[in-house]
Amino acid sequence: MAQQLQCIVVTPEATVQDESADFVVLPLYDGEIGIAPSHTPLIGRLGYGEMRIVAGGTTSRFYVDGGFAQVSGDVINVLTNRAVPAEKIDAAAAQAQLEKAQAQPANSDEAIAIRDRDIAQARAQLRVAGRA
Amino acid sequence: MANPRQLDNRRKSIRNIRKITRTMELIATARFKKAMDRAAAATAYTDRITALVKDLSRAGLEVSHPLLEEHETTERAVLLVLTGNRGLCGGYNSNVIREGVARFRQLKAEVPRVTLEVSGKRGISSFRFRKIEPDRTFTNFEDRPAFAEVEVLANRYLDNYALGKLDRLDVAYTSFHNVARQTAVVETLLPLGSIGGADTTASGETEGPSPYEFLPSAESILEEVVPSSFRVRLFKCFLDSAVSEQVARMVAMKAATDAADDMIRDLSMTYNRARQGRITSELLDVIGGVEALST
Repeated sequence: MAQQLQCIVVTPEATVQDESADFVVLPLYDGEIGIAPSHTPLIGRLGYGEMRIVAGGTTSRFYVDGGFAQVSGDVINVLTNRAVPAEKIDAAAAQAQLEKAQAQPANSDEAIAIRDRDIAQARAQLRVAGRA
Repeated sequence: MANPRQLDNRRKSIRNIRKITRTMELIATARFKKAMDRAAAATAYTDRITALVKDLSRAGLEVSHPLLEEHETTERAVLLVLTGNRGLCGGYNSNVIREGVARFRQLKAEVPRVTLEVSGKRGISSFRFRKIEPDRTFTNFEDRPAFAEVEVLANRYLDNYALGKLDRLDVAYTSFHNVARQTAVVETLLPLGSIGGADTTASGETEGPSPYEFLPSAESILEEVVPSSFRVRLFKCFLDSAVSEQVARMVAMKAATDAADDMIRDLSMTYNRARQGRITSELLDVIGGVEALST
């Protein structure tokens, strides 16, 4: 039998997912990364985006809201604020957040960083929702 | 001798109250178990964050972040007081409010601009009673605070702290140690003193270099760890409060039910005596009448 990954997704509220997988795609801060069994140990910063878990030919898709991923051995720990199945994303709320963030005036470095973050978060949700 | 009917009515009403307090006790017990499970889930998350910080410090990274540093001057402070929406839970609300008011007065004396934010109807009304008008109030945190709701609050504090609109954040809440012990405390969450636990940084040194590869870089991860750990700590405050409230209500209602039991027992005894006394005196009347007729 082929080697399997164990994928554990934890949010502050609950352990969302704890199952074995063949292949996992994580949305890192600066691009996606694919994790197959026997990956080198790694700690990565997650961005806003889509996480895909491939197990037995079916792919489950989640939106993850920042956080971290830790890979050691064949265990992937994903720590995130939110992990929502792609079909349950509230696209209307994301659209509202996007519009609100874009309308927000930003006149300092910190304010611009906050605005950019809100925009990126909203866009990622819309992107994941749109693909479902 | 007291009127047996009055005594009986009183006993009935105490029985009814006992039914109510007993039910409330059972509900509180069930809610407490649920709240406890949620708190345990949050602990799993914090443990992993702590482990992550440990790995980062093993990689020889200096832990520094704007959120960990105090601002040069403390001009704007926020005090957040977490109370319950409902009463009938012993000293739970009053203990937190007492701590909160004391800290509020102290902050008022030290800091030019203090903002008071109160969660829970009980806290709001008792601050108003003391003629302190809260600047912001929340009543949406029930016995199951959702992370999404707390996150909104946390992000607002984080943003304001980064922008310099906030220099200090204190939270008054009830910390849950175990079922028998909960204490009302005031903690300073911003600036964040340490992440996870302070001792983790020291103990990691002996185990050699970290085997991990950091993507994109250890610094970038740290940049995200600190706010995350703040959010989770705030969330933990809410969870602790929720658990403590249920425990306090459970204990208070248990005491009320026990007291009702005692009262029912005493009243039953008095009632039986009164009833028996009345029967005896009526019998004596009849016997007296019979004797008077037969002579």
